[in-house]
Amino acid sequence: MGVITDEARRWAEREYPSFDYRVTASDIAKFAQATGETNPIHFVRDAAVAAGYPDVVAPSLYPYVVRTHASALDPFDQLEPDGSPTADVPPLPTRRAMAGETRVVVGERVVAGDTITVTKRLAQMYEKEGRSGPLVFVEMEFTFTNQRGELVARENFTRIYR
Amino acid sequence: MRVLPDIGAEVPIQVRAPSALDLFMFSASSWLLHRIHYDTPFTVEHDGHPALLIHGPLQGVYLVQSAESWLGDRARMSSISYRHLAPAYLGDELECGGRVIATDASGLELELWARKSDGTITTTGKARFERR
Repeated sequence: MGVITDEARRWAEREYPSFDYRVTASDIAKFAQATGETNPIHFVRDAAVAAGYPDVVAPSLYPYVVRTHASALDPFDQLEPDGSPTADVPPLPTRRAMAGETRVVVGERVVAGDTITVTKRLAQMYEKEGRSGPLVFVEMEFTFTNQRGELVARENFTRIYR
Repeated sequence: MRVLPDIGAEVPIQVRAPSALDLFMFSASSWLLHRIHYDTPFTVEHDGHPALLIHGPLQGVYLVQSAESWLGDRARMSSISYRHLAPAYLGDELECGGRVIATDASGLELELWARKSDGTITTTGKARFERR
C-alpha cells in the first residue's frame, strides 16, 4: 500500500480555477441531437417558451458538457496519447483509468443565454488493494451555478486508476 | 394531484444502439477528446478493445431519458447516481429500463439499468424524481 504519495495528494488538493461558460441555443441543440432527444423544447425557442421556459432549455444532464469543455481546452500537445488532457492525470504510478461512480444533483434548469460557472475540488482520494494491484479512487466534485448564483447541478465523479 | 406509479412499476424498456456517428457526435458536443469513442485503430490496436466504447455518461443520459419519457410532466429528476459494471461497445444493443423502488408524498425513487442483449448489465443507477 501507499501509492498515493505526498506529491499526488498535493496535486489533487491544489486549487482549481473556476470556469465560466455562456450557453448558447446551439450548444443545447447539439447535445440534444447527439443524445437522441426529440423534444422541440431543446431545439426551438418558441416550443420552449410555450412550455414555460424563457428560452431553449437543456436536457437534465447537460451541465456535464460545461465541465468537459473546462478540462479539454489545452493545446493538443498537452494531451495524453489517448486524447485525455494531461492536466487531469494525477502523478500516480498507474495511469490506466476507468470511470467509477457518478452522482449528480440537479437544480435549476439551464436555458440558452445562461452563464454557467463551474468550480472543481477534490472530494476524496483513497486507495484499495485490488485483485491485480492497488486501485486509486479520485473523486472530484463539480459545482455548477448560473448567473443568478443558483445551483444548476453538483456532480461527483470518481475516476479509478489501476 | 398527478398520479405517480407505485412501487414495483416498471420503466418501459427503450433499446438504444448508438452508431459510430452517435458516439462521435456525443464526443464532439461534449468536447470530449478521449480517442476510445471515435478512433477505431487506436481503440483496437493500442488499447486492446474489440470496438469503440459507448461513453459512460451517454449511458447515464440513456437511463435518464428512459425514466423521463415515462414520467413525462408528472415528475422531475432531482438526482441520479450510476456506475458502470461492464464495457458497452459499438454494435451493442442496450435495453434501458428500471422500476420504482420507493415512493413518498413528494416523489419517487427508481432503480435504472442498461443491459446488453446477452443479459450483461453495463450501467446501473438510482434516480430520485420529485412530483410536479
